Amino acid sequence: MIETTAPRKRRVLPGFWKRILIFLTIFGPATITAMADNDAGGVATYSLAGAKLGYPILFPLVIITILLGVTQEMGMRLTVITRKGLADLIREKFGVKVAIFMFGALLIANIGTLITEVAAIKTTSTMLHIPPIPFVMVIVLVSFFFVTKGNYKLTQGIMLVASLFYIVYIISAVKAHPDWGLAVTNLFYPHGVDMTSAYLRDFLLIGMGVLGTTITPWGQFFISSFAFDKKIEKGKINYSQMETYWGAFLTDFFSFFMIVATAATLFIHSIPLVSGEQAALAIQPFAGQLAGTLFAIGILNAGFMGLVIVSLSTAYAFAEFFGISGSLNDSYQKSKTFYILFGIQLIVAMVVALFIPLSLFKVAVFTQTINAVALPPVFYYLIKLTSDRQLMGEFANNRFQKIFSITCTVVIVVTSLFTVATIFIKT
Amino acid sequence: MAYLSEIIGRPVIDLDGKPVGKLKDVIVRPWAEFPHPLIEAIVVELKNGEHYLPFAAVAALLSPVIPLKYRSDEIPTFELMADDVLLSRDVLDKQIIDTDGARVVRVNDVELVRVNGTIYVSNVDISWLGIIRRMGLVGLSQSLGGHLKQKGISWEDVELMHRDQSMQLRVPAKKLHELHPADLADIVSDLNRLESGQLLDSLDVKHLADTLEEVEPEFQVELVGHMSDEKVADVLEEMNPDEAADLLGDLPKERKEDLLALMEKDDADDVRKLLAYPEESAGGIMTTEYASIPPDLTAAEAIQVLRGMADEVETMFYVYVVDLDQHLIGTFSLNNLIFAAPGQKVSDFMTDRIISVNLTDDQETVAQIVSKYDLLAIPVVDDENRLHGIVTADDALDKIIPTAWKKRLPRFYR
Repeated sequence: MIETTAPRKRRVLPGFWKRILIFLTIFGPATITAMADNDAGGVATYSLAGAKLGYPILFPLVIITILLGVTQEMGMRLTVITRKGLADLIREKFGVKVAIFMFGALLIANIGTLITEVAAIKTTSTMLHIPPIPFVMVIVLVSFFFVTKGNYKLTQGIMLVASLFYIVYIISAVKAHPDWGLAVTNLFYPHGVDMTSAYLRDFLLIGMGVLGTTITPWGQFFISSFAFDKKIEKGKINYSQMETYWGAFLTDFFSFFMIVATAATLFIHSIPLVSGEQAALAIQPFAGQLAGTLFAIGILNAGFMGLVIVSLSTAYAFAEFFGISGSLNDSYQKSKTFYILFGIQLIVAMVVALFIPLSLFKVAVFTQTINAVALPPVFYYLIKLTSDRQLMGEFANNRFQKIFSITCTVVIVVTSLFTVATIFIKT
Repeated sequence: MAYLSEIIGRPVIDLDGKPVGKLKDVIVRPWAEFPHPLIEAIVVELKNGEHYLPFAAVAALLSPVIPLKYRSDEIPTFELMADDVLLSRDVLDKQIIDTDGARVVRVNDVELVRVNGTIYVSNVDISWLGIIRRMGLVGLSQSLGGHLKQKGISWEDVELMHRDQSMQLRVPAKKLHELHPADLADIVSDLNRLESGQLLDSLDVKHLADTLEEVEPEFQVELVGHMSDEKVADVLEEMNPDEAADLLGDLPKERKEDLLALMEKDDADDVRKLLAYPEESAGGIMTTEYASIPPDLTAAEAIQVLRGMADEVETMFYVYVVDLDQHLIGTFSLNNLIFAAPGQKVSDFMTDRIISVNLTDDQETVAQIVSKYDLLAIPVVDDENRLHGIVTADDALDKIIPTAWKKRLPRFYR
C-alpha cells in the first residue's frame, strides 16, 4: 500500500504560520456546515426564543455548541480517515434496505426544510419591499447555475462569503443596546427573569426547539460528503477536527447575537412575536431601521445558504447511497443525476412555498418529526462506524469518546423526540 | 440465471434433510483463461460461527432449499486462497470500476449462470431493478424487467476496488491497462484517495505517467504526495518534460530538489531548463523534445535520422533545421520530406519563412499565433534566434481555455 512506502517526512514540527497555511487548505466544510445549521428556520427559532424568553435562553447555547462540535467531529473524522462519505459507508456496511430508508427520510425532511427556507425568504423579502416571487426564482436559478457550472472551490467560496454575512447580527445586537453583562452571565447560569412555571415550561420547549434546528440529519450527511468532495488528506485530520470545533463555536457565537438582538428589544418591551421572521420588523422601533433591515438581510442570506446546502446534502447522499457520480468538480454531463436532483428539490420547494397554500407551521412540525425519527439511526450508524477499529484504526472512538458521544446522542434524540411529542399533545 | 441476492439467506440442509444453517456468501475464484469466475465454495452461517465448504459438496445451489451431499457431521472444509472473492462481502453494495464505461459504479446485485453443473458469475447488476429486487419486491422487479432495459455489466469489464481494508488491486490489473489514459484519469478522480492510490500503484511507470498527465494539476500534486520519491522520479522521466516541469513547479521546493536529484541527468536537465521560465510564458509551456536536423543532409539521410529519434520526440509534425550553434534556419513538414527526391538537400526543400515565438512571449500570444497560422506546433527561440523548444497546439490552447470552460465544450472538441 502507498501509505507504507511513503517516506515519513515529518522531521520538523511545522511553524506557526505554516500551520495556519495548512489549516487554510482544509478550511471550509465544517465551518460551512455549521453556519448552514443557522439557516432561515434556525434564525427564526433563535429570534423567537430571544423575544419570548429573554437572555436566559442563551444558557443552552454552550451545551448546543458542545453537542454540535462532538457530532460534527465524528462525521468529519469518519470521512477523512476512511475516505468515504457517511452514506457510502452506511450502504456498504448495512445494505440496501437501510440505505433506502435513510435516504427516504432524509429526502422528505430536507424538502420540508427547503420549503421553510423559501417561505422565510418570501416573508422577509416582502418586508424589504422586494417582490417575493421573482426574487425567489432568481435565487433558485442563480444557485442552480453556480452549483452546476462552477466547481467545488466556487461553491465553497460563495458559501464562505455567505457565512461572513452573519456579522449583520452583531450589528443588529449592538444597535439594540443590550445589557451585555446580563447576556454574558446568562451563558453560564440562567437568571434575571421571573422563573414562573409557565416560563420554565416555555424555556424547556423552546430550548429543545433551538437544539432541534441546529443538529439535523442533513448536517451529519453534509459535513461528511463535503469533506469527501474536498478530498482532505488523512495527515491533516488534526486540523479538520479543529475546524469542526471552530465551526460549532462560530455558529453559536452568531446565535448569541440573534438572541441578544431580540431579547434586548422585544422581550424587554414584552412584544409578542408570531413568527421569527417578524423579528426583523418588530425590532425596528427599538433598535432603529438599520438594525431591522440588517436583520432581514441576515434571514435572506441564511435562507439562501440553507437552500444550497440542504439540497446539496440530499444530492450527495443519493450519489453515495446508490453509487452514481456526484461531485461539484464534475461536469453537468458526468454527474447529471446529482445536479438534477439538486435542482428539482429547489423547484419543488419553491413551487410549494410560493403557490400552494400550506400551513407553514404544519410543514415545520412535520419536518421536525421526520428529523426526530431519522436522527437516532443516523447517530447509531455514525457512532458504530466511528467505533469500528477495522475501519478507523487508531482513529476509532476511544472509550471516553464513545461514552461521551453516546451521551450526547441520547440527549439530542430524547430532546427531539420530546419536542415532537409535546407539539402533538398541544395540537 | 439467478441473482445472488435471491439465494443468500436460503436454508441449507444436509443429506438427511436436517437443517444445517443459512447460506451467507458465495466464494468465486478468478482464473486467467476465462473472464467469468467459477463458484468454488459457499459460506454457511451456523449457530456458532460460519463454515466454508466446497461447491462440490453442494447438491443444488440454485434451489429454494440448498441440499448438501453430506451428513452434517462430515461436511468437508474449503481452504480460502488469497485471490478468492466473497461475492456478498466484497462485491455486493461495493463500488467497482466498469472498465467498459470507464466509470465507478455501485453493485446492486450479481447475476449467476449455470452451465453444465458449474455456476459462473456472468454480470453485475447496477440497475434500479436490482435495488427493487433487494427490497424484496421480486415480483415488481420482474414485471418491470420486461419494460426496462437491463443494465448489467459483464464480469469481463469489472475491476474490483474493495475487498477488505488491506486489499490490493489484482496485479496486474489487466483490464485497466487497456483503457485510454484520459479514461483512467477520469476513474482516478472518481475514486477516493486510498483507492486511486492503489489503482495508480498497479500501473506500470509508462501508464502511470500518461495517466498523471491527464489529471487536473491540484489532484496530480496530491496523488504524487503519496508516492515514494524513487517512483515519482521514474514517472517524471517518463512524462513529457513540459508536463513534468509543471508538476514539479507545483510541489514544495524541498521535494522538487530531491526529485530532480533522483532523476536521470538528461531528463533532469531538460526539466530544469523549463523550470527556469515563468510558468505562463512560451518557455514555461514548451517541450524540449522536438526533432531537429542539420541543413546539409539529403532527404534520404534525413528520414534515417528522424526514424532514430522516434522514441524521444513528442510530435513530429514539423522538423526543424538548425545550424551548429542551434540557430533556427528552416523548417519542413513530413509531407515535404516524403515528396522530396531522396537525393535532394534539406536546405532545398525546407521553408525559411519561419513563424516562431520568443521564450518570454506570454502564452496567450502563443495561442493566438498557433491558431492564426493553423499550426500543430510552434518553435520557441531566444533573442538570437536559437531554438530552445516547441509548443504543441494542444498545450498552447490548453493553457488558454480554462478547464471548467473546456469541460462544457462538447466531447468532440476536447
